[in-house]
Amino acid sequence: MAATDSTFHKVAQHLSLAWRNLLSLRKRDMRRALTGRNATIAYGAAIVVVLIWIFGGGDVLQKTTSDLLEKYAPPQSSIVVQKSDEDGVKRHAAVDPSRDGQDRPRTGDDPKADGETQPIIKPTDNPQYQESVEVDVSAKSVAITAGFSGQRIVVFGAVHKSLQISAEQELYDVIVVLEGTKAPLVTRRKSNVGGLWINTDSLKFARVPSYYTISSTRPIREISTPIVFDAYSIGFEHVRMDVADGKKTDFSEAELRKFRDAIIRLKAKEGLYQKKEDGVTFIGSALFRTSIDLPANVPIGNVIARTYLFRDAELIAQNTVTVALERQGIEAILHDFAFDYPLLYGIFAVLVAVSAGLAASAAFNRGK
Amino acid sequence: MTVYLPIAEMPINVLVFLAMGGAVGFLSGMFGVGGGFLMTPLLIFSGIPAAVAIGTEAAQIVASSVSGALAQYQRRNVDIKMGVVLLSGGLVGSVFGVQLVKELRELGQFELFVSIAYVVFLGIIGTLMMIESLNTMRKVRAGGHSSVRRSGQHSWIHGLPFKMRFHRSKLYISAIPPLLLGAFVGLLGAIMGVGGGFIIVPAMIYLLRVPTNVVVGTSLFQILFVTAGTTILHAVQNYTVDIVLALILMIGGVIGAQFGAVAGQRLQGEQLRFLLAGLVLLVCARVAWSLVVMPDELYSIAQSVGGH
Repeated sequence: MAATDSTFHKVAQHLSLAWRNLLSLRKRDMRRALTGRNATIAYGAAIVVVLIWIFGGGDVLQKTTSDLLEKYAPPQSSIVVQKSDEDGVKRHAAVDPSRDGQDRPRTGDDPKADGETQPIIKPTDNPQYQESVEVDVSAKSVAITAGFSGQRIVVFGAVHKSLQISAEQELYDVIVVLEGTKAPLVTRRKSNVGGLWINTDSLKFARVPSYYTISSTRPIREISTPIVFDAYSIGFEHVRMDVADGKKTDFSEAELRKFRDAIIRLKAKEGLYQKKEDGVTFIGSALFRTSIDLPANVPIGNVIARTYLFRDAELIAQNTVTVALERQGIEAILHDFAFDYPLLYGIFAVLVAVSAGLAASAAFNRGK
Repeated sequence: MTVYLPIAEMPINVLVFLAMGGAVGFLSGMFGVGGGFLMTPLLIFSGIPAAVAIGTEAAQIVASSVSGALAQYQRRNVDIKMGVVLLSGGLVGSVFGVQLVKELRELGQFELFVSIAYVVFLGIIGTLMMIESLNTMRKVRAGGHSSVRRSGQHSWIHGLPFKMRFHRSKLYISAIPPLLLGAFVGLLGAIMGVGGGFIIVPAMIYLLRVPTNVVVGTSLFQILFVTAGTTILHAVQNYTVDIVLALILMIGGVIGAQFGAVAGQRLQGEQLRFLLAGLVLLVCARVAWSLVVMPDELYSIAQSVGGH
C-alpha cells in the first residue's frame, strides 16, 4: 500500500504519465492496429459471448458448479486414503484375534473408551446376541482448506464374536450413517402470483442434518422395519426433522410431507444427502468396510458416523465415531476474520480492492 | 483448478470465474460502464448466493473504479464539492439499502426483490438509451448537430432552497437534488450490486445539467467512495463479502477491461450507446424470463438467518 506521501506521489505520477501515454497511443497506433475487420470481429465475438452467457450460459455455469460439487476427492488423495484404510484393516485383522481373549470384559456396556475405540452400546439386552461392533474411520479429522475439493472417508469395522463363517453367508447387515451438524432450515415454496413466481409459503424446521449419507449392505427396507429406522433416524424417509414451534397448525400432514421431501430432494441434488444401498461390504467373517465421499460443499462441523449391526432384522449392536471437519489455512483465517472482526474485514476488503485496481492499471500501463 | 470460497462456502472453478470477470471486464471497458449490472446477475445465475454476489460485487467495483477515478482527479475533471454532496447522500442510501437487504433476506423475498429491481431499472434505462441513441444517429445522418447542454434553461430544480455554488460544474443549484440523487443511487447500489453509473451519469447530465467533461470524473469519485462504504457495510451487517471471489473477478475484470477499452475506441458514441442499450435490455429480458417462467423446482431451502 502507498502508506507515505512520497510513494503515493510516485504512483500517481507514474499513473498520470502512463495515462497520457495511453491517450497519445489511442490516436495514432490503435487505429492502425485495429482495422475495421478486426474491430468487427471483436464486437461480434463480444456480443456472441454475452448472448451465450446471458441466455445459455447461466445453465452451463450452474452445471459446471454442480459438477464440481458432485466431483469427489481427486485420485491421488483417494489412493492415499485407500492405503491408510488398508493399513487400518491389516491392523485390525492382526489385532482382532488377540483381542478376542484380552478384551472380553469390554464387550459389555462400558461407557468409557480409551480414546481409540468408542463406547459400545448394545441396544438389545437379549442375551442371545453376544455380538458387538467396533468401528473406526480412515480420517478422524478433515482439513477444509482453500483447495478442498472433497474427501473420501472409509468407515471400517469388525463384528466382535461373529458367528459368520464367511462373507457369503450374509448373516449380518450393517448400516453406516454419516450425519453432519444439525441446523435450523427454512423451506420456501413458490407459487404463481399475478404471472410472477414468488415465494409464498415457508416452513421452518428446527433441526435438520446439514449432511446425511447412508450406506448399507442391502436396501434398508430389506434389513429391518420402519419402527427401528424411525427410532434411530436411519434412512432418508426416517431422518428426524422437527418443525420449528408455532408453525405446526399452518399445514396439513400431506403438505408437511411435501416440504420434507423437498429438503431431501434439494439436499440430494447438492450432493449432501447420499444413499448407497450396497455400499457396505463384508470381508471375511467379521470385517466390513464402506467408503463415503464427503462432497466439497460439506458443511463444516463434526460429522458423526453411526454404525448399526443387524441380525435377522434385529438391531443388535451399534457404535459411533466422530470425524471433525475443520477449516484450515488461509480459508480458516479469512472466514474467522470475516465473522469475528467484520468491520476490519470490510476495510481490508476495500484496501485489497483499491490496491488491486491501482496495481493492475500500473502494470498494464508499464507494459504499453 | 478449484478454490473453496471462504464466505460463499462452496468450491468454484477459478478459470470459469476468471473468464467471467474477463468477459464482463471487456464489455465494461468497451462501453465505459462499471459492469456491475452484468456481473451480479451472472454470479447469481452461476449459483453464488444472491447476497454474496451483491456484497462481493461492491468490492469489485471499488477495484475497477479506483484507477479511473484517480486519473480523472489528476485531470481535474472531478467536482469535489458536487462529489461530496452526492457521496453524503449515497452513504445514507447505502446504509438503508444494506439494512433492507438484511430484512428481505429474513423474509425470503430478497431474490425476488433483486430481480424486480433489475427488470424495472434496466428496462427503463435501456429503453431510454435506445431511443436517445437512435435519435442521435438519425440526426447525425441528417447532418444536424447534437447538443446536450442547455445551461441557460431553468427548471423546477432551480426553485429549491439550500442553494450551493459548484465552481467546477459552473452551477448554482440547490443541494437537495444531488443529495437525493446520491441517496437513490447508494440505495440501488447496495441492493442491486451495481455502481449506479448508468443512473447517475444521465441524471447529472439531464437533471442537474452538469457539464459532460465533469460528469464522468465526479460520478466515478462518488461511485468509488459509495461502493467502498457499501462493501464495509455488507461485511459488517450481512457477512457477505467474499474476498477470494472478489479477487478472482478483479483479476479477470481489469485484464478484460484493457482490451475492451481498445475495442471501444473503434466505435462512435451513438453506436456504443445503441449496443449498450441492447445489452441492458437483453439482461433485463433474461431476468424477467426467470421471474415469469415456471421454475423446475418450486421449493428452495436456506439456512435460517440468525443461526449464522
